[in-house]
Amino acid sequence: MCKECGCDTHGTAPNLSKRIEVIENLLSENDRQALHNREHFDALGVTALNLMSSPGSGKTSLLEATIEALAGEMKIAVIEGDLETENDALRIRRHGVPAVQITTGMACHLDAAMVHDALHDLSLEGIDLLFIENVGNLVCPAGFALGQHADVVLLSVTEGDDKPSKYPVIFRQASRVLITKADLLAHLDDFDPHRAEDAVHRLSADLPIDVLSAKTGAGMAGWLDWLRALRR
Amino acid sequence: MHEASIVSGLMRILLDHAARHGVRRIASVTVKVGRLRSVEPRALIGCFEVFAEDTIAEGAELLVESVPIRGRCDDCGAEMEIAGFVFRCDRCQGGRITVTSGQELYIDSFEATDALS
Ligand SMILES: Nc1nc2c(ncn2[C@@H]2O[C@H](COP(=O)(O)OP(=O)(O)OP(=O)(O)O)[C@@H](O)[C@H]2O)c(=O)[nH]1
Ligand SMILES: [Mg+2]
Ligand SMILES: [Zn+2]
Ligand SMILES: [Zn+2]
Ligand SMILES: [Zn+2]
Repeated sequence: MCKECGCDTHGTAPNLSKRIEVIENLLSENDRQALHNREHFDALGVTALNLMSSPGSGKTSLLEATIEALAGEMKIAVIEGDLETENDALRIRRHGVPAVQITTGMACHLDAAMVHDALHDLSLEGIDLLFIENVGNLVCPAGFALGQHADVVLLSVTEGDDKPSKYPVIFRQASRVLITKADLLAHLDDFDPHRAEDAVHRLSADLPIDVLSAKTGAGMAGWLDWLRALRR
Repeated sequence: MHEASIVSGLMRILLDHAARHGVRRIASVTVKVGRLRSVEPRALIGCFEVFAEDTIAEGAELLVESVPIRGRCDDCGAEMEIAGFVFRCDRCQGGRITVTSGQELYIDSFEATDALS
């Protein structure tokens, strides 16, 4: 460094490098949109739940069983997120419940803008509960707020009871964890629901967990009562 | 690839700040990423290289600073680092922990080099 002129060495240009502080959240746009969605939900008295799990853990089946169980009691609407196909929305509509499909294409998660777009095709008037079934994925959906009031994370008994330890971020942020397909436990010797519960509770000591089967209806009572209590 | 969504937010903020400061070339960018953010630094860096092409940030280095998870015990007030994602108080063994850091996901700063050409 040359003391006189401040240049690096003679012959090269003076170094005018400067550090500019920013401090801005990288997801600020999504967070803003999520707050806006929340305003829509709150204005209409709708409770919105974000359902997340690995692909095929039983999210849509749980919704179908829940819709049947709460028929005549609570008004439900569903937003379905999938990489491709309208299949899940068709399954829901068969139960007489309005459902909008979002096909995300390449995106591995729903974001708040996609949910807002879906709201254009869905009347929330008179709806008590809005379920948002996220793309089957235990990593990406966790980081993107949608405006939901609570996160529900499913873990099916065919997945391994150490999943909560392998994907701690998503299980930690859950308001409720559902261990699904419990009817299959009799056929499996390597899934111990207690081990799964312990793994969840290491992340969040008081997190409520249900062990249930959408197929037989066993264990659904706690989940249904929780939903009833969310009604506003 | 949710890193793509994150990096597109990063580019928007970065180029916006650079324009406001009249920056012509960006040498490096520092982001802070909490451990509770399922964000893979290498994926972020790879994505940034692609998004930065043909912008004033082309070739800039993305420095990803990882922020450990810290929490405070709701029962006894002890503050601690949460290692291995076990949210349990060192002091009283209580399991109710409020996270005080580890959720960060923000651009801290960038280095502008407006070297005279
Ligand atoms: N035995 C049993 N099978 C179930 C149960 N719930 C769902 N399944 C089966 O698991 C498979 C996947 O169920 P879905 O409800 O489509 O799972 P999903 O999480 O919505 O799947 P994606 O939307 O593709 O991520 C289907 O073959 C269901 O029949 C259950 O309680 N018991
Ligand atoms: Mg489904
Ligand atoms: Zn709106
Ligand atoms: Zn992703
Ligand atoms: Zn304590």
